[in-house]
Amino acid sequence: MAISFTLNGKAQSVDVSPDMPLLWVLRDTLNMTGTKFGCGMALCGACTVHINGEATRSCVTAISSVAGKKVTTIEGLSADGSHPVQQAWMEEDVPQCGYCQSGQIMSAVALLSKKPSPTDLDIDDAMSGNICRCGTYQRIRKAIHRAASMQAGKAKSAA
Amino acid sequence: MSATVARRVFLKSSAGAGAALLLPFHLSGELRARQFCGSSPSNSYSPNAWLELSPDGDVKIWCGKSEMGQGVRTALPMIVAEELSCDWHRVQVVQAELDPKFGDQLTGGSLSVRTSYENLRKAGAAAREMLISAAVAEWNVDRSVCRAEDGAVIHLATRKSMAYSQLIAGAVGMQPPADPPLKRPAEFRLIGKATRRTDVPQKVNGSARFGIDVRIPGMLIASVERCPVYGGTVRRHNAEKVRGLPGVRGVIEVKPFHLTHQFGDESGAGSRNYSCAGVAVLADSTWSAMQARKALEVEWDEGQFAQENSVGLREKFVKLVSSESTVMRNDGDFEKAQAAAATKLEAVYEAPFLAHATMEPMNCTAHVRDGECELWAPTQVPGAAAESVAKALGIPRERVKVHVTFIGGGFGRRLIQDYAVEAALLSRVARAPVQVVWSREDDIRHDFYRPAAYHLLHAGLDNQGNLIAWRHRATSPSIDIFYSGTGISPRAAAQMNGSDFPAYGVPNLRFEFAVAHSGMPLGYWRSVENSGNQFVISSFFDEAAFAAGRDPVEFLLSVLGPARQIDLGGNRGTIDVARRRRVIELVAERADWGKPLPKSAGRGIAAHFGYGSYVAQVAEVSCDASAGSIRISRVVCAVDCGTTVNPLGVKAQMEGAINFGLAQALKSAITVDRGRVQQSNFHDYEVLRMSDAPPAIEVHIVPSPEPPGGCGEPGVPPAAPALGNAIFAATGKRVRRLPIRAADLGLT
Repeated sequence: MAISFTLNGKAQSVDVSPDMPLLWVLRDTLNMTGTKFGCGMALCGACTVHINGEATRSCVTAISSVAGKKVTTIEGLSADGSHPVQQAWMEEDVPQCGYCQSGQIMSAVALLSKKPSPTDLDIDDAMSGNICRCGTYQRIRKAIHRAASMQAGKAKSAA
Repeated sequence: MSATVARRVFLKSSAGAGAALLLPFHLSGELRARQFCGSSPSNSYSPNAWLELSPDGDVKIWCGKSEMGQGVRTALPMIVAEELSCDWHRVQVVQAELDPKFGDQLTGGSLSVRTSYENLRKAGAAAREMLISAAVAEWNVDRSVCRAEDGAVIHLATRKSMAYSQLIAGAVGMQPPADPPLKRPAEFRLIGKATRRTDVPQKVNGSARFGIDVRIPGMLIASVERCPVYGGTVRRHNAEKVRGLPGVRGVIEVKPFHLTHQFGDESGAGSRNYSCAGVAVLADSTWSAMQARKALEVEWDEGQFAQENSVGLREKFVKLVSSESTVMRNDGDFEKAQAAAATKLEAVYEAPFLAHATMEPMNCTAHVRDGECELWAPTQVPGAAAESVAKALGIPRERVKVHVTFIGGGFGRRLIQDYAVEAALLSRVARAPVQVVWSREDDIRHDFYRPAAYHLLHAGLDNQGNLIAWRHRATSPSIDIFYSGTGISPRAAAQMNGSDFPAYGVPNLRFEFAVAHSGMPLGYWRSVENSGNQFVISSFFDEAAFAAGRDPVEFLLSVLGPARQIDLGGNRGTIDVARRRRVIELVAERADWGKPLPKSAGRGIAAHFGYGSYVAQVAEVSCDASAGSIRISRVVCAVDCGTTVNPLGVKAQMEGAINFGLAQALKSAITVDRGRVQQSNFHDYEVLRMSDAPPAIEVHIVPSPEPPGGCGEPGVPPAAPALGNAIFAATGKRVRRLPIRAADLGLT
């Protein structure tokens, strides 16, 4: 039975087993490989996407539970890498191997949408579910603060 | 010195700067169309394997090493671009496939920049000189009045210039200079300049393709149930029941295969570098394969290591370390000096097995057809992948084509090619492209582990507080026996270097090592034996400093002694004591060493010299006894890695290495029982998380004109002992085994 949802702003329908995790629907059914497999148990955060704006581990999210919802993946964050969080990541030269960074960025975007100017403690709380084995944590922290000021600057100039 | 020997020496981390390896320098000077690069215009100019200039002004530079986060796709092209004098913004980096024209493509041992530096400079310089020659011919002027700059040749007197793209036609067919002039460091415009990574844009938008992202039409996904005991084999399985499950396209038994030695050495008798036996479920999606695998029932012949366990291995360690073993170094007379010492110290240190736990689980895609094999491999050694696969398939190595993908973390795990062999064997039977995807559980339970080790140390101080005697006995399973066989000498098998600290600084000193045989599969874990050994050495040295009533930095400098060159002999390079001292002095200064801290806070120092680089770190902690917690407030690092190609990259490597070392210190341990690894995923094999990471890591680079040193590994070893020493300074509790447990600190 087809399951319909909104993926990166567009209507999407897939005909897969209802218990198939969203992660594998994205990666194997839809060939959208930006969302990564890391642990399969919501322990590492590499598979983080947004469902109705909430950071969610797609590796333990059955596709049936996504029906009718809005899913955003790293590919849908911006058309051209211009999202402030992506920009901040580039400015701070954050990634090393880069495998975890889609998930890191999705968690960071969700954090900033709730807390536009997070403290280090807020960052620890929101980001500790995302493992980076290369150890880019200090640069991630800096990039989140930078993205926060970029967004604040934007909000100011818009006001 | 053969290349093989040199690699082994480097992987075992010679203490000195060492001699750089020169790769074959390929210059063909031919003009050719690159059929496999659809975007390249056919009139591009490719004077050698490393670069190609196109008439539209773009420059392609090939990266001959694997990018696993360490920044080679930035640092190596920077070296070519520097000497080419091209516009860095026009450079596109292309990942080299496996091809002899790129020389040795092994990525490991913190060697990439070290072994590529001269060769890549020559490649860039040769092209630049040919383009200058073309301009000289065009203008009919003297060569001395022409200069290359930003992708153009300039006539100095008239300031007229011609872009490289206009000079291509003139340079074609020229004989490349064999020994082109290289720039003086003062002329560098790119080398030494903080440069952002070339691969970041694709790593922030999800488009970077890792091995696991390879998609080939008709590709099946394989999930393999492997024997839980390393070396076991399959007796029988219920393939028939699994074949009918949704999405399943096949169930195939995978036999174990002996893997080619990753460094091209002989794997002698008794070597145990095999891929695992198992049963693979092939399906049309990863999920289907993993689900169907749960229904698989396999009866195993668990082989000879079914009784392997951590408790028994530790008992073996205790016995081995209490008797004399292979002497790795013997200076003066330890026993006599120790007997006469005014203060005597003794301590036991322990470190566990460790898994690499790269974020991208092991995987490889293979397509076997018509007696050929095409691999898409996240591998650190594409040559060993090709060789291992060729042997397993029984085809010539030349018939294995290897595409190197981005690697989601290596740390030494991807030096071993078991996943490539699995993919190739499965593709042959399935007659389709196959991607083998390991689960996290597979990855944690079927790694090639950093060996557990056990150390007994003695030290003696005279009544002036001088360190006069030191004995370090260590025992652990041997990585070299695992790969090279039981025929190697006890010295070659040792997980210890005769030149380790505090050699050359203590008059009566002995190092001994005993091999503890174990069934565990072993491998190279970022900084190899130094990861554990330096924790032991620097922690016990700190014990000696406190016993002597001396400041640890002052004590360290006094044992290092005056600035001098120490020749390690046997082509193992030299130790420059001035450089050792400098990083220690610099880190102490930048970390405010000696400045008072609150009562429950402390600083600790540790240093490591190896991979051609000198690193010292100070950790600062504060301890909250009531909360039972230790907080790392900052880590300061000083590094002298010789000529720095990309300071931004060097800093990233130090930051990452420190976090990697802190994970070892605070989190990770593998244990084994009944031959089975007991951990399985990130809940029981923990690594560092954001909340554990120090809020700040400061990296200070010592400017140096010396040849480049390695950067991937030497930052790892000092992190754990710097932390342990800081904990001692803050709490008076000495950390003698890893990972640090709250109970060991009396914090629970």
